[in-house]
Amino acid sequence: MSTIESIIIPKKELPSNFVKTGWGLVIVGVVLAGISYATDSHRAVFNNLIGFAFLTSVAVGALFFIALEYIAGAVWSTPFRRVTEFLASLLPMAVILAIPLLMNMHELFHWSHKEAVEADPILKHKEPYLNEQFFIIRFVVVFGAWMLFYYLFRRNSFKQDVDKDQRHTKNNITLSAIFIPFFAISISLFAIDWLMSVEPHWFSTIFGIYYFTGTAICALAVATFLVVSLSEKGYFFKGINENHYYSFGALLFGLLSFWAYIAFSQFMLIWYANLPEENFWFIARWKNGWEYISIAMVLLHFWVPYFMLLSRPSKMDVGNLKRSSLLLVFVHFLDLYWLVMPTYNQAPVFGFFELAFPLLTVGLIIVVFSVQAKKYNMVPVGDPKLQRGIDFHL
Amino acid sequence: MANTLYAVTALFKTPNEIIAAAHAVREAGYTKFDVHTPYPVHGMDSAMGLKETKLGFVTLAAGILGAVGMISFASWVASVDYPQVIGGKPYWSWPAFVPVTYEIAVLSAVLLTVGAMITFFLKFPNNSHPLHDTRYMKAVSSDTFGVAIQADDPKFNEQEVKAFLKKLGGDVESIYYTEEFLNFKPQMFEPKFILLLVGVALVAAGGGYLTWNKLLFMPPYNWMMQQPRVNAQSKSEFFADGFGMRMPVEGTVARGFIPYPYKATDRADSVGALLVNPLLPTKKVLERGKQKYFTFCSPCHGNFGNGDSRLQGQFPNPPTLHSDKVRQWPDGAIFHVITVGQNVMPSYQYQITREERWSIVHYVRTLQRALNAKESDLQ
Amino acid sequence: MSATVIDYSKEIPVVEGVPSAASLDAAISKPIDEFPHRNWLIGLGITGTMLLIGAVSLGWLLWKGVGVWGINQPVAWGFDVVNFVFWVGIGHAGTLISAILFLLRQKWRTGIARFAEAMTLFAVLCAVQFVLFHTGRPWIAAVWLLPYPNQHGVWVNFTSPLMWDVFAVSTYFTVSAVFWYVGLIPDFATLRDRATTTIKKTIYSILSLGWRFSNRHWQHYERAYLIMAGFATPLVLSVHTIVSFDFAVSVLPGWHTTIFPPYFVAGAIFSGFAMVQNVLIITRKAFHFEHLITMDTIEKMNKIMLVTGMMVGYAYSMEFFTAWYSGNQTELFVFVNRAFGPYWWAYWIMFTCNVFSPQLFWFKKIRRSLLASFILSIFVNIGMWFERFVIVVTSLHRDFLPSSWGMFVPTVWDFGLLIGSFGLFFTCVLLFIKFLPAIAMSEIKAVVPGAQPTHHGNGAHHG
Repeated sequence: MSTIESIIIPKKELPSNFVKTGWGLVIVGVVLAGISYATDSHRAVFNNLIGFAFLTSVAVGALFFIALEYIAGAVWSTPFRRVTEFLASLLPMAVILAIPLLMNMHELFHWSHKEAVEADPILKHKEPYLNEQFFIIRFVVVFGAWMLFYYLFRRNSFKQDVDKDQRHTKNNITLSAIFIPFFAISISLFAIDWLMSVEPHWFSTIFGIYYFTGTAICALAVATFLVVSLSEKGYFFKGINENHYYSFGALLFGLLSFWAYIAFSQFMLIWYANLPEENFWFIARWKNGWEYISIAMVLLHFWVPYFMLLSRPSKMDVGNLKRSSLLLVFVHFLDLYWLVMPTYNQAPVFGFFELAFPLLTVGLIIVVFSVQAKKYNMVPVGDPKLQRGIDFHL
Repeated sequence: MANTLYAVTALFKTPNEIIAAAHAVREAGYTKFDVHTPYPVHGMDSAMGLKETKLGFVTLAAGILGAVGMISFASWVASVDYPQVIGGKPYWSWPAFVPVTYEIAVLSAVLLTVGAMITFFLKFPNNSHPLHDTRYMKAVSSDTFGVAIQADDPKFNEQEVKAFLKKLGGDVESIYYTEEFLNFKPQMFEPKFILLLVGVALVAAGGGYLTWNKLLFMPPYNWMMQQPRVNAQSKSEFFADGFGMRMPVEGTVARGFIPYPYKATDRADSVGALLVNPLLPTKKVLERGKQKYFTFCSPCHGNFGNGDSRLQGQFPNPPTLHSDKVRQWPDGAIFHVITVGQNVMPSYQYQITREERWSIVHYVRTLQRALNAKESDLQ
Repeated sequence: MSATVIDYSKEIPVVEGVPSAASLDAAISKPIDEFPHRNWLIGLGITGTMLLIGAVSLGWLLWKGVGVWGINQPVAWGFDVVNFVFWVGIGHAGTLISAILFLLRQKWRTGIARFAEAMTLFAVLCAVQFVLFHTGRPWIAAVWLLPYPNQHGVWVNFTSPLMWDVFAVSTYFTVSAVFWYVGLIPDFATLRDRATTTIKKTIYSILSLGWRFSNRHWQHYERAYLIMAGFATPLVLSVHTIVSFDFAVSVLPGWHTTIFPPYFVAGAIFSGFAMVQNVLIITRKAFHFEHLITMDTIEKMNKIMLVTGMMVGYAYSMEFFTAWYSGNQTELFVFVNRAFGPYWWAYWIMFTCNVFSPQLFWFKKIRRSLLASFILSIFVNIGMWFERFVIVVTSLHRDFLPSSWGMFVPTVWDFGLLIGSFGLFFTCVLLFIKFLPAIAMSEIKAVVPGAQPTHHGNGAHHG
């Protein structure tokens, strides 16, 4: 067995055209976002919400995968843990994107209008939860805690690069055990606050899990894309093989099946019981052109990637993995659009408003990732599980 | 032991040795050989040069077959053969078919995969293979790894193979076909076995018949039929008049029933003036009228209302419906006649519902109009 | 937390020491080869008595009808459905361990997969008897449960969740049985070659189908196993999902809530693992499997119980929160009534056993204590039984119309059948560990240190 040091590739600088594209996207995105806020702030704020939720998905989803790797004792993903650690540093960016939302809450949340709440007994009933002060407290607590975990996870992990002390792994396992229950609650609160309460009358107990599943798929798809395309260009370490790729593909496959299960359960129960207090949400997504988006969701979020990743060889195929992970990143945007926009307009709308934030967020992901990659090791060289991860076979 | 050689075998102690041996045997150009290990050894497939199994295609086909079959069946049942409104949903409520479709897809995929694997891929059950009951088999079923080169391999030469396997470090032994194996005949078609099958079938059928036709009508299974309650149209000791059924209260009107206040003695045209046809002559109404006309009216009045009965004179022919009198009657008069009858024509109010009678009236009007079409009808 | 630091750079071994393959065979087939131990016979006596109680209750039920139970309006689903859901839930652990953990390449499953699968079958059997007999006259029920052509031209109702249940549970049972049997084939062949008497040899030969340990066969066999695991995983999710649909597609407050499918599945895994843990600890002790079912395995089971326990806790809280958040008064009433109404004790037994008591598994000492694991697993089983009781009974007993409120009081026959189902389950378990290998021989041999070659073929695939 060769030593770890001889296998690891110390390459850190990402290809310059990749980084340039990232900056370009950020600049175009910021300009477009500025224009959209200037022309129609109502529409801009809804799109801003999509962008914000997307960035949170990637960042918190990445945080979740870090914790999952520690708690499950997974080894195959250890060589690639830095990818998720870098992606998790999008959290501050997400907070920045939240600022215009918090400043324009009245545009976004019907329940933030005092007079509307007074006129509506159901909103009045919900007021102890859905009010601006408590909303902001929840936002600060949830994001504050996520940042704290993010900081602690990375601190231990980076320290390990230097001193190779196994205690850091142990500490991070303990941290993960605390993080995961907290994560379950916090991501549900996030989903209820930012996505479900956009339609303040609607409710669904499964919604937190629904959003969590989308988050996990999106973060994993981003990570998969980065891992596959970077390792193709010779990053990480020598000897990356189909066993590693297969694991990414299989996990994506499992998660998207799980997403279909959760989404179908939610739809099925509301469709079957047909109660007016719930079904209006789906009815709104089945008319005025929204039905095409809904069908596209079923196809693109489940059937197409399902068959793309079904067979064993397809999970190991580099090109196929890149295509399907890109598709899954796109459908998370589509999913958020489908969740949020019917409240904005009865028919689906598409224009430069809808392009601004996707461009901005994708650019941010690239830029933040490349900055982080330059600064830190691309592979957790001090991790005791690294050798096992490199030798991993099915 | 018979003298026909089946294979030369060699036993090895460790997984590394067997991998190397398998590799060597393949390199030496043998094709009809097999490796026997107590558990699947990693890397053996490539060492032996085996191709990927095709089992996955069976699964895919079986799964698709099951899914398509089940959703088609459920759709046909629920929306074609036995349509029922359930929960106010459309007949073809596809989300409700997803669970059963899913289950059957899984069931057929798993069962057909395993069935195909056992019968076609592994050729099982087969308990009379030359390797069974040998020292070799007992060793590989526990903790040893073996390789067997078959005698029907084109490159086979007993001495060479033995030397080759010895050189690899194996514990070499030749295995011969047994007497029973060579003389084996399938016993499936022996009369004794077939008789046994027939006997089992008869007992099962008889038992089934007795259970479902006799046993289930004995106590306690028939207790539901003996209940302390009044059956319709039967006697009752409870009431003074001895009837099980009670008369409704005076003036009770059945739900959906509108009493007809006029009698057969009332004049058709005067009653008719008081009644108005509640239906519009839409296509649907006319079609229903036509259907009912053909069922109830046409036997005597003829297919077109000419009074040309189809009854071959067994019954007096009624007058034509195209007479001036009938044409000038109000709609209500025709309705009245259908309802209460006229001359030898009996009342049809119990055979034909109120709405259907009004539909017939429309249809009769259409027949009359057909014989006296106006110029404008042709445009 | 203990002071010793685990070396993360090494894999945790599945078995203790380096037992030889022959000694594994000997250890696993020992209970089969030997005359039954006295404790085994005592155990069989106890479970047989319980089974007899169940048989008498069943006979009385068939003679008199379902009126002997405590069910009536408004609580028309009582112990029958509670027990059904409880046992189906127990039945989820086996396939979960053998399929999901197989796909996740958790090797520690090897020691426990076989009898967890067997427990799946027995638990589903126990569940099936309740659905069958709660129909009142099961010999007639075939007409509206099985879609076969009949002279009335009537078909079953494919839009009914009860119908889905029939499909789901019977598919699950069939697939689990096939999965279990396919896993047993190589072990039957090993037993065949170990057999000393002709009868045993004949039986095992037939059951082994003539398995020869050929690698040309292993190749297909491993792929089939992988495919089945791939199918069994979503199947195991679908079964309890469909059981949850029985409740959740209705419009009844307390039943109709969208979180039911994943919530039921988490609960099923939770209770199933608890039951496996109970049987595991006893079997491990009785048959001296300490080196095959290690303390690490038991600790991992406890961790999974901790996680799934928190999942059901999440679902309880989310349901309560949404009941309030929805602004639906009846919904909120049902939940307040659950926690503080006449059945408050059932709710709090559920909550304590399922959410609070597994929290003790945060402590490593408790996770690695056999006695604590055993007791806490029993608590979980009690809690999960009460969860179903709470869902079924408290949602029904006070419906929309206060004039039709009522209480559910089980009769002695309700309890008789419940005891009988436990008798059936444990009798089957006892017979299983006596007559079939309780641990998969061919699988555990493959995960012993040194069982796999140190160098690999050129990029071969492995199951």
